[in-house]
Amino acid sequence: MVEVTGVTKSFGDVVAVSDVSFRVDAGVTALLGPNGAGKSTLFRVMCGLTAPTRGSVRVLGHDARRDREVRGRIGLAPQQDSLFDRVSARQFVEFAAQTLGVVDHAEAARAALGQVALPVDDPKPVGSFSKGMRQRVKLAAALVHDPDVLILDEPLTGLDPVQRNRMITFFHELGDAGKCVLVSSHVLDEVARLGSQVLVIAQGRLGASGDYRALRALMDDRPHRVRVAADRARELAAALLARGLIDGVSVTAEELVVHTNDVDRFGRSIAPTARELGVRLREVEPLDDDLESVFRYLVERR
Amino acid sequence: MSDGAVPTVRAISLTYRLVMRQLVTRGRLIALAVVGVVVVVVSAAVGASDADGDPLERGVRVISDLGFTALVPIVALVFAAASLGDMREDSTLVYLWLRPMDRWPVVVGAWAAAVTVSLPLSLVPLIVSAVVVDAGGALVGATVLAAVVGTIVYSALFVLAGLLVKNAIVWGLAYVLLWEGLVAGFGSFAARLAIRGYTRSIITSRTGIDLDLGDLSLATGIAVPLVVAVAAIGLASVRLRAMDVA
Repeated sequence: MVEVTGVTKSFGDVVAVSDVSFRVDAGVTALLGPNGAGKSTLFRVMCGLTAPTRGSVRVLGHDARRDREVRGRIGLAPQQDSLFDRVSARQFVEFAAQTLGVVDHAEAARAALGQVALPVDDPKPVGSFSKGMRQRVKLAAALVHDPDVLILDEPLTGLDPVQRNRMITFFHELGDAGKCVLVSSHVLDEVARLGSQVLVIAQGRLGASGDYRALRALMDDRPHRVRVAADRARELAAALLARGLIDGVSVTAEELVVHTNDVDRFGRSIAPTARELGVRLREVEPLDDDLESVFRYLVERR
Repeated sequence: MSDGAVPTVRAISLTYRLVMRQLVTRGRLIALAVVGVVVVVVSAAVGASDADGDPLERGVRVISDLGFTALVPIVALVFAAASLGDMREDSTLVYLWLRPMDRWPVVVGAWAAAVTVSLPLSLVPLIVSAVVVDAGGALVGATVLAAVVGTIVYSALFVLAGLLVKNAIVWGLAYVLLWEGLVAGFGSFAARLAIRGYTRSIITSRTGIDLDLGDLSLATGIAVPLVVAVAAIGLASVRLRAMDVA
């Protein structure tokens, strides 16, 4: 349904997306990456909102930037929070339906608002809505014409846990109904629940793609760095190496940074080893457990 | 399910209604109404200060200098630059752009909305000014025609500006004050490159009062601005199609 081939997007000297290729079909696909990784730019290129510097995008076989009709088969919920603040939710979604060529726009708007659990007859302008409510208005506007391809940029941001669960279930229903649902997120746990198909993007490059469980295993098996503050650091480092608990180490007077491919085993063993040697541990701190490091690893290993 | 492309007239009317709703704010209306009141007050003062002169000539000069050098272009600037420019800057343009609609109906709808809001805010103070200086029906007729032509062309130019540059109001004000207000006064060739030369020509043709830089025929005074308006709308459509949308 969506085919991205060798897409690069630069803004002056800044390369936001670099040589990205993938194909997604019906079902839910999650686009995972840290903030600033290029997810929104990639979505904008896919929707035709900005032209790629190199490469091509086909949505349902068409270029959304050139082909008018295909734009009516895409539903986009952009990341930015801005809406036409002076209209009500119903008016906003109804306007979306009208501009998307939906004949029974009033009924379509009513149905879409119901799908995101927003009251249909609330006269308040969307400018007075909370972030979560605005997010749902955007979703309703993206859904109102029953599009074949849904591109949702961080759609769960601002939603409470109940709403998140509801939306994730709804996305899966859409995917099961044959829609192509692309959802971006920078939260690993969200992606775990979003779908089995995952694209990982970092620093503008596609780091990994495929089944979420395989990707998760890859993330867990990656080399970890841990900083250990202790007295007699050299003695502790030698013992850890001798026992095969670490794969490498750099040592200063009171601190060592260890490299290990089995962080669980290291975590279980560090305290008993130190106690056995009579070494006093002051601090044990993982250095690259943040998502940025995970993404960087996935990109660099390619 | 979407039923395909949105017909042209429908696209114009949807854009028009949306832009009208977004443009008409209390703040804008009050600010521009105040400008209109200032024009009326100055006209009344001019009328009272020179009671022995020709009221038509007096009226023509004050309306031409204040109305068509300041009021008409500034009112059009405020609304037309904001019509699509505000959406571009606050990232809501995506809700008009990613639609199965051609680009030119979107521009025409926005332009029509800007003209609809601008025209009464320019026209009413100018007509009141013409009446206040007791210039007679000829000036009222000339003012209406020139204001309509001026609003049409300025609105088209400033819709384009809103799509071309950030802070179009600032650029537009610079254009109005420097180009229309200053450079156009340097000679007849410069006046032909400014809208002001054409609106002054309309007033001159209709009232018979000679104005500097207003030496074109009525037909030219009307036709050239309309051609410029069509060209500006065309360019704005091309710009909307080719631009990056946030």
